[in-house]
Amino acid sequence: MQPDRKARLIASLPAWGATIALLLIWEISVHVFQIREFILPAPSAIWEACVSAWPNLLRHTLATLGTVLMGFFASVIISLPLAMLIASSPTTSAAIYPLLVITQSIPKVALAPILIVALGANEMPRIIVTFLVAFFPLVVSSVAGLLAVPPELIELGRACRAGRFQELLRIRLPFAVPFVFGGLKVAAALSVVGAVVAEFVGADAGLGYLIQTSMAFFRTPLAFGAVVMLALMGIVLFQAVALTERLLFPWSSSVEGTTTATS
Amino acid sequence: MIRLENVNKTFRGRDGTAVEALRDISLDIAAGEFVAIVGASGCGKSTLLRLVAGLVPTSSGQVMLDNAPVTEPRTDTAMVFQAATLLPWADVLRNVTFPIRLMHQHDTKTDDKARALLATAGLSGFETKLPRELSGGMQQRVAICRALLQEPRVLLMDEPFGALDALTREEMSLELLRLWSARKMAVIFVTHSISEAILLADRVVVMSPRPGRIADIINIALPRPRSFEQEGTEEFQRCAARIRALIFKGRDANAA
Ligand SMILES: Nc1ncnc2c1ncn2[C@@H]1O[C@H](COP(=O)(O)OP(=O)(O)OP(=O)(O)O)[C@@H](O)[C@H]1O
Ligand SMILES: [Mg+2]
Repeated sequence: MQPDRKARLIASLPAWGATIALLLIWEISVHVFQIREFILPAPSAIWEACVSAWPNLLRHTLATLGTVLMGFFASVIISLPLAMLIASSPTTSAAIYPLLVITQSIPKVALAPILIVALGANEMPRIIVTFLVAFFPLVVSSVAGLLAVPPELIELGRACRAGRFQELLRIRLPFAVPFVFGGLKVAAALSVVGAVVAEFVGADAGLGYLIQTSMAFFRTPLAFGAVVMLALMGIVLFQAVALTERLLFPWSSSVEGTTTATS
Repeated sequence: MIRLENVNKTFRGRDGTAVEALRDISLDIAAGEFVAIVGASGCGKSTLLRLVAGLVPTSSGQVMLDNAPVTEPRTDTAMVFQAATLLPWADVLRNVTFPIRLMHQHDTKTDDKARALLATAGLSGFETKLPRELSGGMQQRVAICRALLQEPRVLLMDEPFGALDALTREEMSLELLRLWSARKMAVIFVTHSISEAILLADRVVVMSPRPGRIADIINIALPRPRSFEQEGTEEFQRCAARIRALIFKGRDANAA
């Protein structure tokens, strides 16, 4: 564990170095070229804006986080059974997949105002938009996982007289775990995108709303601060999913990508 | 014990064309007998095993096991595939006991039996390792242990050593013979290697392709226990020549 952690720290050094260098170049350029603050604020100005608006910024961050989490969990709860249904037979797959593709080809920004009128100005339309943006990759990768089981393994199950349910529970689902987590990581990142898209269209709180109102008053540093919070949120969610995978399915995180190749 | 009576198997392809995989197969296998099947690729060897396993139905004719027709998978037949096909998420011990647990025959003695079996296969100390931490040969050994733990009366092996290197292959063949002679089960062993078939089997079934038929059945009169030294004997060479002739005759007839 100890050398492992050390190796990981060393591996992350270049990334930290590059980030710090970029921030420095940014800061210096803004001062040297005297760029106006409402066009491109320096990192220090963004920092100051965040600190001075802190309780407010935190409130908006938590509002967005709520939408993101609800949308994300909705994706998980709906995608996994949907994936099982699609994977269960070619008929169900042929019936459901086209519908999914249609939901994906609708621009979510266009859908948001319609949903707000239909469902009222509350949290619901934002959660639905978040869900619509996030769930598709999760369904696709879960289906891929459920169908990637080597045919011999399925045959082994059948030879042991396992029924369809047993096969799903004992063979297909565990096999799909690395694929599901691949999809969850994408869904986590997309949930943040979805929540902001929804907030742009209709919200009275949240980082998307904060960005819009700040820009209306040329408070660019605060808008940048909101963007930074969004980025942080995406990273934290992604890492949370990765950590859950490492803790619950330690065998999974290292087989990802190799499962299909070796079997 | 196993009896195939005029078995035909025709697959209907996705485009509706019929593929005749097996034609008029009749074969008797005694309890505890070791039968090898050799033949060109595509002559229906795997299909034959699946029929005996009850995984696919015959098109006509019957597969009988202990005088009862085989219509579905049975708990007393076990299968080993070319790839080890272990569960990537389960350690060696849980992989070996997986079929037993699936069949709800798991009890307190199962794990001990599995450990003992793994020990005879040279895998003690690896019980808690994951499949990806094992070499290909070790993985296949685990797969064989998994099949043997079911204490099958019929063991079906589809090119079980096909993915292994030549040295591991020879070592595993002898090991398989040792494990087989310790219990009395019938083995049907599909292979592409003529010498492997002769070394292992009591009888070698030679199949010819398109449609898959039995070209001939060769009795191997080599004394047991078998060893690789027997490869030099006259009997071994005679059998090998005969099998080779049968396979190539089928091939020439097909080309003509
Ligand atoms: N499920 C299936 N659907 C359609 N055709 C099949 C199916 N399984 C096997 N076949 C056909 O039956 C024939 C025999 O196949 P089989 O896999 O039994 O051959 P094999 O002797 O095991 O070949 P190999 O040595 O390459 O493993 C082939 O022509 C194959 O295309
Ligand atoms: Mg085959």
